[in-house]
Amino acid sequence: MNVGKSVLFNQLTGLHQHVGNWPGKTVERAEGTMNFGGHIIDVVDLPGIYSLSTYSIEERVALEYISTEKPDVVINVVDASLLERNLYFTIQLLEAGVSLVIALNQVDQAQKKGISTDAVKLAERLGVPVVPMIAVRGIGFHELMTAVVDTVEGRMAPKPVRIRYGAEVEAHVEAVAEAVEESPIAMPARFAAVRLLEGDDYVRRLVAQVNGKAIAAAEEHAKQLEKEHGHSAATVIASERYELARKIVTDSQSVAPTARTFADRLDEVTSSGALSYVIMAAVVASMFVIVFKVGDELSSLLGEFFLSLEPSVMSALGGGAVGALAWGAVEGLIAGITIALPYIVPFYAIMALLEDSGYLARMAFLMDSVMHTVGLHGKAFIPMVLGYGCNVPACLGCRIMETDRERTLTVFLTTLIPCAGRTIVILGLVGRYVGLEWALGLYGFDLLLVFVLGRLAYKTLPGEPSGLIMEVPSYKMPHAGTVLKRTWFETSSFVTIAMPLMVLGSVVLKALEVGGLLTPLSGLLSPISVGLLGLPPIAGVVLIFGVLRKELSLIMLAALSGTADLASILTAPQMIVFSVVTMFYIPCLGTVVALYKELGWKKALVIILSEVALALVAGGLLSRILH
Amino acid sequence: MAPVPLAYLRPGDGATVESIDAGWGLTRRLLDMGVTPGEHIEVVRSARFGGPVEIRVRGSVLSIGRGVAMKVLVRPDGEPTV
Repeated sequence: MNVGKSVLFNQLTGLHQHVGNWPGKTVERAEGTMNFGGHIIDVVDLPGIYSLSTYSIEERVALEYISTEKPDVVINVVDASLLERNLYFTIQLLEAGVSLVIALNQVDQAQKKGISTDAVKLAERLGVPVVPMIAVRGIGFHELMTAVVDTVEGRMAPKPVRIRYGAEVEAHVEAVAEAVEESPIAMPARFAAVRLLEGDDYVRRLVAQVNGKAIAAAEEHAKQLEKEHGHSAATVIASERYELARKIVTDSQSVAPTARTFADRLDEVTSSGALSYVIMAAVVASMFVIVFKVGDELSSLLGEFFLSLEPSVMSALGGGAVGALAWGAVEGLIAGITIALPYIVPFYAIMALLEDSGYLARMAFLMDSVMHTVGLHGKAFIPMVLGYGCNVPACLGCRIMETDRERTLTVFLTTLIPCAGRTIVILGLVGRYVGLEWALGLYGFDLLLVFVLGRLAYKTLPGEPSGLIMEVPSYKMPHAGTVLKRTWFETSSFVTIAMPLMVLGSVVLKALEVGGLLTPLSGLLSPISVGLLGLPPIAGVVLIFGVLRKELSLIMLAALSGTADLASILTAPQMIVFSVVTMFYIPCLGTVVALYKELGWKKALVIILSEVALALVAGGLLSRILH
Repeated sequence: MAPVPLAYLRPGDGATVESIDAGWGLTRRLLDMGVTPGEHIEVVRSARFGGPVEIRVRGSVLSIGRGVAMKVLVRPDGEPTV
């Protein structure tokens, strides 16, 4: 759903916030303050949703916010070219009794499609202010905020229309509302009544706490309604709500026929026929070439620069344990800058471009059947592809999955995807010393595991599997400002999560080194590293470093052995085992944080432990087979 | 004639939604996206290899996975309604 909500939020608050084309992507609560004509206004960015039905987490977040925190005004951003779908949601907001101002956005895009809207008429029909806007160009911004301030201060006294259903449905709604009214809750009785009839679990639990009678009444009336109409109460109510939306649209919009546009033709070529798959493969391939080529260049440039600074920084920090620890912190910082940033910035820029243009939705369409083989649907393709760059944004990107079950499954599989860091280990070790075919073999092995584990998790995870239901946005020219802001926002959110951890981890490791604890630690781990995996004793410690960042295991292997010729440290089978273990054991620290953020610590812990077990089993088996 | 699953339609076909035969969650999502009984839809395209069906409904385009499309029963245009 690309109505331009995030663009508007950025303009209102000046905060850099995530902007994209993906339905329901903004789950995080972003908040900002703006000063408008002397008024200090607190702006909260609510998730982009289609309905208040509390089926998804986003919907629940939104409903909870508007019913408990009672905002002065809710700005409902609607897309002028998708008015009917968007008004379905507006109607629910009116039912929920919030004070509304409608931002009728993208009127220019709608015009291109031959759609013109009479904002005055629309405002009349809804009984709330409607402000036509082109948010990406900042048009209508002043008028919108004037309407908001006027509404709050009572200069504009909107009379929101009372949403009424057909006579038969009305009778049931009224009856249930009466029952609800006996013990007031945080939302209008009528709204709660409609929700109860629709079978909304969240509202049901809310009402059940204070008023069991209303629940019984709602169940009874829902049953009657179903008997009268031959469809469930939820179906009847949703249909009537959409009917109302259509009536309002017919009254306030006129549509002129338009010729086939370039976007239509592009849609055709990129969504159907064999060519569409070729195009997608080319897009994915060029995305990686760009990311890694640009990344390599930037990374080596930055690396050289920091290397030239090393002597002076070292001398400035002074010797001794404190100096060494401080240097550890600096090293963590440098590692973050030289490895993470060069790959992540171009990666995010391309992702933002793909999302903003609308191409990602086509990818999901084309890849749906493939993703089904691992128990997911087309939307999961995006986080999975992201995973090849970096697991951290990939995990965070799993929010686009609607249900808990799908989110968990996608996050789990995403952490098994070999990210850029793991690719460095695989290519730098196996690819370089054993042979490229072996490195590719490892990738194949990884895909096979994702497939098998995906199927397994699909079967074992509780809950109803759900399929793809996704709005396909029209193609549009990506907006440079939006793409840049998005890249900035994503990068800075990554840096704020990952950087402190990298610095901290680096200092801890340095402390171990300075304290002379590395050798005893190696001994402690040798039953696993030597006994189980058949690796040299040093591997245990090196793999600990790899938790910080996967590629660090390779760098530390060379550093601690005092040679860059890794063939003198590891045999070919050992290299393969080492790479496999690196691929699967604990996802890096950044990913662990992302796991925790997305799934909570319980699920995160289960995933981490099962992946450690997986790494040890796979590594142990391989070591025995290869020797 | 009995209604058929949406998944059986071919690109260019039009139909009227008859009913949704799915669990609460899926039904809810389809309803919220405007796939309601009585509504006319049009199949834009159908992905290969058992991929999703793309339909035009209420002025916008929706991608619906094959499995989901099996649960939406429709009456193709040109058939008499009972």
